[in-house]
Amino acid sequence: MFKTFFLSELKYTLKQPMVYIFMFILGLLEFFATVSDNVQVGGAIGNVYRNSPYTLTIHVTIFSIFSLLMAAAFFNNAALRDHNNEFNEILFTTPLSKPGYFFGRFLGALFISTLPLVGVFIGMLLGTSLNSIFDWIDPERFGAFNFEMFLNNYLLFVLPNMFLAGTVIFAMANKWKSTVISFVGGLVIIVAYIIAGSFSSDVDNETIAALTDMFGINTYQIETKYYTPVEKNTISPGFSGLLFMNRLIWVSVGLIVLVLSYFSFSFKQKNKKIKKAKVKASKTETVFSLPKLNPSFTGATNWQQFKSFFYTNFLSIIKSVTFKILFLFCIIILVADLSGGFEYFGLQSYPVTYKLIDSIEGNTKVFLVIITIFFSGELIWRDRDYKINEVIDATAHTSFISMAAKSLSLLSTVVILNFFFIAIGIIYQLLNGYTRIEIDVYLLDFFYSNLPLFIIFSGITILVQVLSSNKYIGYFIAVLILFVFEIILSILDVSSNMLDIANGPSLTYSDMNRFDLGLKAVLWFNLYWVLLAILAVMIAGALWNRGSKNSLLSRIKTARREVPKSYRVSIIATAMAWISVAAFVYYNTQVLNTYDSGDTREQLAADYEKKYSKYRGMATPKVTDSRYFIDIFPNKRDIHIKAELEMTNATDQPIDSIHIYNNRDWNTNLKMSNAKSVYKDDTYLFTIYKLSPALQPGEKMTLTLDSKYITKGFKNGRGSTIVVKNGSFFNNGDFLPTIGYNSGYEINDKNTRKKYDLPEKERTPELTPGVTDLHMGNYLSGKQGDFINVETVISTINSQTAIAPGSLLKKWEENGRTYFHYKTDTPSLNFYSFMSAEYEIATRKWNGIDIEIYHDEKHTINIDMMLDAVERSLKYYTKNFGPYYHKQARIIEFPRYANFAQAFPGTMPYAESFGFIINLEDETENNVIDFVIAHEMGHQWWAHQLIGAEMQGGTMLSESFSQYSANVTMKNIAKTPMKMRKFLKYDHDRYLSGRSSERIKELPLYKVENQAYIHYGKGGAIMYALQDYIGEDKVNNAMKSFLEEYRYNAPPYPSTHDFLRHLEPQVPDSLSYIVKDWFKEITLYDNRLKEATYKKLDNGKYQVKLDIETYKIKSDSLGNETRVSMNDWIDVGFFMDNDEEQLYEQKRLKFNKDKSTLTIELDSLPTKAAIDPRHILIDRVFNDNIKSLSLED
Amino acid sequence: MSTLKISNLSKTYANGVKALDDVSLELENGMFGLLGPNGAGKSSLMRTLATLQEADSGTASLDDIDILNQPAELRKVLGYLPQEFGVYPRITAEQLLNHIAVLKGITNPKERKLLVRYLLDKVNLFDKRNKSVKGFSGGMKQRVGIAQALIGNPKLIIVDEPTAGLDPGERNRFYNLLADVGKEVIVILSTHIVDDVRELCTKMAIMNLGEIVYHGSPQTAIDDLKSKVYQKIVDRDQLEDYARDYKIISNKMVGGQPLIHVFSEDHPQNGFEQVTPNLEDVFFSKINTANVLV
Repeated sequence: MFKTFFLSELKYTLKQPMVYIFMFILGLLEFFATVSDNVQVGGAIGNVYRNSPYTLTIHVTIFSIFSLLMAAAFFNNAALRDHNNEFNEILFTTPLSKPGYFFGRFLGALFISTLPLVGVFIGMLLGTSLNSIFDWIDPERFGAFNFEMFLNNYLLFVLPNMFLAGTVIFAMANKWKSTVISFVGGLVIIVAYIIAGSFSSDVDNETIAALTDMFGINTYQIETKYYTPVEKNTISPGFSGLLFMNRLIWVSVGLIVLVLSYFSFSFKQKNKKIKKAKVKASKTETVFSLPKLNPSFTGATNWQQFKSFFYTNFLSIIKSVTFKILFLFCIIILVADLSGGFEYFGLQSYPVTYKLIDSIEGNTKVFLVIITIFFSGELIWRDRDYKINEVIDATAHTSFISMAAKSLSLLSTVVILNFFFIAIGIIYQLLNGYTRIEIDVYLLDFFYSNLPLFIIFSGITILVQVLSSNKYIGYFIAVLILFVFEIILSILDVSSNMLDIANGPSLTYSDMNRFDLGLKAVLWFNLYWVLLAILAVMIAGALWNRGSKNSLLSRIKTARREVPKSYRVSIIATAMAWISVAAFVYYNTQVLNTYDSGDTREQLAADYEKKYSKYRGMATPKVTDSRYFIDIFPNKRDIHIKAELEMTNATDQPIDSIHIYNNRDWNTNLKMSNAKSVYKDDTYLFTIYKLSPALQPGEKMTLTLDSKYITKGFKNGRGSTIVVKNGSFFNNGDFLPTIGYNSGYEINDKNTRKKYDLPEKERTPELTPGVTDLHMGNYLSGKQGDFINVETVISTINSQTAIAPGSLLKKWEENGRTYFHYKTDTPSLNFYSFMSAEYEIATRKWNGIDIEIYHDEKHTINIDMMLDAVERSLKYYTKNFGPYYHKQARIIEFPRYANFAQAFPGTMPYAESFGFIINLEDETENNVIDFVIAHEMGHQWWAHQLIGAEMQGGTMLSESFSQYSANVTMKNIAKTPMKMRKFLKYDHDRYLSGRSSERIKELPLYKVENQAYIHYGKGGAIMYALQDYIGEDKVNNAMKSFLEEYRYNAPPYPSTHDFLRHLEPQVPDSLSYIVKDWFKEITLYDNRLKEATYKKLDNGKYQVKLDIETYKIKSDSLGNETRVSMNDWIDVGFFMDNDEEQLYEQKRLKFNKDKSTLTIELDSLPTKAAIDPRHILIDRVFNDNIKSLSLED
Repeated sequence: MSTLKISNLSKTYANGVKALDDVSLELENGMFGLLGPNGAGKSSLMRTLATLQEADSGTASLDDIDILNQPAELRKVLGYLPQEFGVYPRITAEQLLNHIAVLKGITNPKERKLLVRYLLDKVNLFDKRNKSVKGFSGGMKQRVGIAQALIGNPKLIIVDEPTAGLDPGERNRFYNLLADVGKEVIVILSTHIVDDVRELCTKMAIMNLGEIVYHGSPQTAIDDLKSKVYQKIVDRDQLEDYARDYKIISNKMVGGQPLIHVFSEDHPQNGFEQVTPNLEDVFFSKINTANVLV
């Protein structure tokens, strides 16, 4: 019996096209993800093979979310087919066995529902084998065939996930006998998945997140978080660890659901509940008479009909169960997300309005889109579905009225939901005691972004449903147009927003600059799309299938005959309006402001290198002095710059030609004495000037620059952020021409270079000891300039303050503008910013230095803390590293178009989103502002006084040193040693997860190639460990003497060898291994506490016995790891409390074998024991370092 | 007085079925019965007249409205109850009728309210006006359908199989209602129930296989058959033989044995007895021209 039903289920479904369509779709997507760089599933995969176990697993897990809805179809069919065909009454009266029927159908559907994901396997295999023939992608990026990964993926992800989803859907289908509810069941599961995912946003909850993820997606990502590329390429997901536990848990959940469903399943039909009709006692006798009727068909009738249509349609949406369920989900997800707050470094930011807007959009948009697509089909097919279409169609109304009402009711639903979400947002803000409620911001965002989007979606989906011959085809086409089309465009490398339905520049609200950036473009794009939507609805009205079902062709014929003239005129008028707007948008985005698509850019870059790389390394003069005259026009978004640069030939040979590259978007006029343009390449804005006579060694010349940045019309994107209404921010690199060979044009990505037949390129020149030609340039400004004086006259509108490097010498008003004259007090690195915005300025004086915070008037809350942080850094750094040479230290806020802080000489631009809105009222938490400011202040020494040569290790001398400086400042204000562990965890995590996604190769710290995870993450952790092992003062001494040797020096610039030269004398012989292990090699520790027991001694003391395992691991640049023998010092310690805050009896001991047993006598009994209790060493798994003490047997 | 003229209307479906084959009719005010077996093309004709379907050739006009080319004009004077009448879920009878009344141009809210109540009372649903129509029984739904077809001042009312699912009492009430309005407008009643036509219509047509096989008054049709119909109760085994030897119009079971009606100019003897023909005999004789057992 079981076999019969199982096989009949397979036979039935395999005869239907659905399963093949799903397999084909997923297979195709995976095929492209395998052989094309333009299609990515779950992010870029970098150095990992295209067909590695890691890639496959990530793809399978992500696709398994999509395939849930497919599974819903199969399980729902299996459960309801007999019911829907009304065959149940016949079937269920036959003597069939319940388990055979129930499980036969279920397992049949289960097997079928795994097939679409098998399509993913096929797609990858096909991609791999076809690529070996066609060579679309470098064959080096493919590994060998690996059967285990397919098998394990099937057994660990595909089968359990479909099983779990299947049990729920099958149970719901059997219970409620409704297809809609089954699909909603599919959605419930997706929602539950998303909620579980929100747990994993912080490192602390990882285990919970790993176990609660019902599909094991986060689990796998957490388990492989620190995988090296080699591990990603070779290790298939396995039957162990958290992943296996997760699978067991969720399969059991599925089993329970299945069993419960089995027992509640019955062949008998449930008796429908009959509501007792209320008997009305009194029956009113009314006499009815037929009124005299005056049917009229005028404009007013149209309006009434529209209202009536709108009302019935709207009601039908909001009263439907599907809507109510989707609505509930939106709210649950939104509230779940909000309850997590807005996190950064374990801190909460204030619930500013734009955060809520982002959260609302991020959590509810997908539901609103589902609602739009789903109900567009419902509304269009509703009359037919309920068999009232002939009555309605035979009444005297214009089809357009009905279409417009349907579109509008669809739109109104979404609009009302949006307002509801806004209300939730406001309530959330108030509940959090945040009273700066900006209703205008909510509403404007709604009108600028969401409203137009859903007008377009409603219009398009309505038209699609009208044109298609059934509801489900309509859904399919709608999804294709709204989602798949975008993917196709990206494959075709088309980036014009005019083709991508409902797209336009994204609008970002900033407290400083409001909605100003890109608003004009957004409004025009909105108009363009909204007109198209109106046109779509009008066409839908003309082609509406009125009466019996007709083919599209015959409907077009009918429309030609029947559509009245006035209607045609309005369609044509709308079309004309749309075409004019389209032309205007096209003119602005494609003619007035051109852009290159990604492929074109790559091609240009490749051509550039091939053509001009012969000039690489040519001799150029250096900038040795500079004067700027800058006028900023924030309202017009223009900048005018005049610059006078003094250039010196610092080489030992005469220079007879200068190569100059102007910047795009800048209209540049350049003057040099004795120079003549002899070659021009407009593609790269490249000019060669011949100098006659040649510039002799040591000789100077002047370059005069007149450059204008003029904003014209609007762009395809939101446009540049360098000059905006409030919060302009640019640096000298944005407008100064590049002199000499422009290596910035080169392609860096290894695989892209291969594609264009370019030779392999070193990411960074190799670290070389001694002094070579490479030491003549630094990694920030190359050989184009060293430490120079900068003098600036900068003007802006009267309401704003403009800032340039150095002391303000003079400020005056002229021609209705405000002018500022700045001059650096000490020669500075040729790398500085210019800014202009409406600022409030908070100041404090410390030892003759002006500490200034330029901030938006709304962001006052953390200003004092910022002043403290700057002061604290100045104190510590001047004491330990040396004097501060500027007369001011400025923190300057800029809009949140970028989220960083950066150090220029004496000035530190700081994003509004990065600290100004973080809630620091709770002082026990990590104070990220203190940290970030300490880091940027660190750069005033490490980068701006001393900077590394342009070679490997260069960024260690600035980034790792600033990270160290910030960490020790934090250490000095931390009240307990354990506090730093929480803080350093982010450095450890950054390093370990960063190396896992390394695209080329990992390098030891002293050879870091501008890799953020190494110079920040590892650098921060290692330097902190170093001071813990050899002492803070020793490290500071080394850094100070290193600084003293090179401070503000002309080339040669130092390398990490030079620092190690200063460090080595400070390291005792017993610890000399750490310089080699930590700085010069890639070393990891794997320490764990296996057993921790105690017994009480007769003298009242406690004897604690610890079984410890310690391994030292060396890794090569690809992540191949080997254990090496060790002879290292590691801390052992105890905690008196469960929260691991009170450290007790910490000792540093030497470990020289893998396994050791320690016996320690203690006065009091601690709760926990730990190896490396403060997490000083880099340890891939730290959790197993700590154990609660148990009583010895 | 309105006139509905149908000339040479033809329609062939994509699958080759001839739904309408050169149909021509002319009707004036009053009840007009359209009889025919299932699949005769009645609904196709109704739908074409109700502007819901296109014809391949031919014309149809109501007074000066060209139905095929001015559908919007016709809809203003049309009342239509399709064969299958469904309703929206979660909407009450009153709301539904109100909505349709707006669509039919009853723009004055007061008028509309009175009208809807009047009709609800007429179809005996006034008490249930605030109940969701979805929960109504088949007969109640049909009554809502009838009510909506009467909304407005239609000149042409088309009702397709209106009495399906109605109990005898409801059926009577419906016919009274229809007879009331039928005096001043054209009512086309399509049905396969012979009694309906006999009771209500002064004019009728019989359709079969897309063609009009009879057009005239029911009485004339019956008169034409006068003394030409004979009946006999026969053995079930002999049915085949009779079918071969006589022009059988119909057979039905009476007390467990087949009673056959045959058409004959002369008395066939052999135990047959003459009967007074009724409309049913007309119906069957018109559509069963091949004289096969049905």
